[in-house]
Amino acid sequence: MSRWRVAPLVGTLLLIVSRVVVAQTITVSGNPPALKITAAVAGSEPTSVSNNTTTYTVVTPNPANRTYKITAQLNALMPANVTLTATLAAPTGGTSVGPVALDLTARDMVTGIPKSTNATQSITYQLSATVLAGVVPSTNRIVTLTVLKFP
Amino acid sequence: MNARRILATTALLAGAARAASAQTATQTVTFQIDAINQIAFAGSPSLVINTATAGSDPTGVTAAATWAVTTNQTGAKITASIGSNMPAGLTLSVNLTAPAGAASAGAQALTTTSVDLVTSITKVAQGAMAVSYSLAATPAAGVVSSTTRTVTYTITGGT
Repeated sequence: MSRWRVAPLVGTLLLIVSRVVVAQTITVSGNPPALKITAAVAGSEPTSVSNNTTTYTVVTPNPANRTYKITAQLNALMPANVTLTATLAAPTGGTSVGPVALDLTARDMVTGIPKSTNATQSITYQLSATVLAGVVPSTNRIVTLTVLKFP
Repeated sequence: MNARRILATTALLAGAARAASAQTATQTVTFQIDAINQIAFAGSPSLVINTATAGSDPTGVTAAATWAVTTNQTGAKITASIGSNMPAGLTLSVNLTAPAGAASAGAQALTTTSVDLVTSITKVAQGAMAVSYSLAATPAAGVVSSTTRTVTYTITGGT
């Protein structure tokens, strides 16, 4: 292969690389502490618990006329009668969907995130249950946050 | 640099870039639900016996209150006792309406020994259930000036 034939190929590959490099990214600050339901008001369902100590950081590139969204999903269903809800605060210009019950389906959490965003926002988890859930030993679920081009 | 080296270097760059631009992030959320057994009673009923039908024991009286329960366990029960026994000739009884799926033992006389009032309480959250206190006396009780007893209710036995 001659240099003259390689040059356009390398140029193309570098262009691809540059486009990948500027793709949207999302990171999180860590894992939240364990959510434990331990109490109830007599006559009412167990008292929900929540945690908002973790954050996510979303970075979006700068293509023309492009917005992004963040979805969330679990790696396994919650136990019966137990609900894990997440709320992602929205970066400026974006819209939080509000509290969303998480399951195996990727659920929209934040939409309309503008291009050229670099923002850190809170993640709030809420664990709720009915008495029908019974006693649930410590277990966990993996929440996957994904940032996508939207629409 | 020959063509193969250039291509290899470019491929490495592409791989590195892809790794640095992850579009997903994960969190591990740990959770648990402990055993929950809560009961509450509302009201401080007053019971006064002040009449009788001639030839019969003094006429018993009743007073109402309410109670509520939440349990996420199976087969819990409610027991009750009083801190000191009733004066001779006086009987204080209580009857708790059972929540859905549970069984009421009906009116039970209260003493310092715990007595079962409701059994088979399983995974229920229910409030505004009736509590009926009854005070009965025989003439042997005589006149009893105003006094009180504290009724202690306990939820136990769930698994």
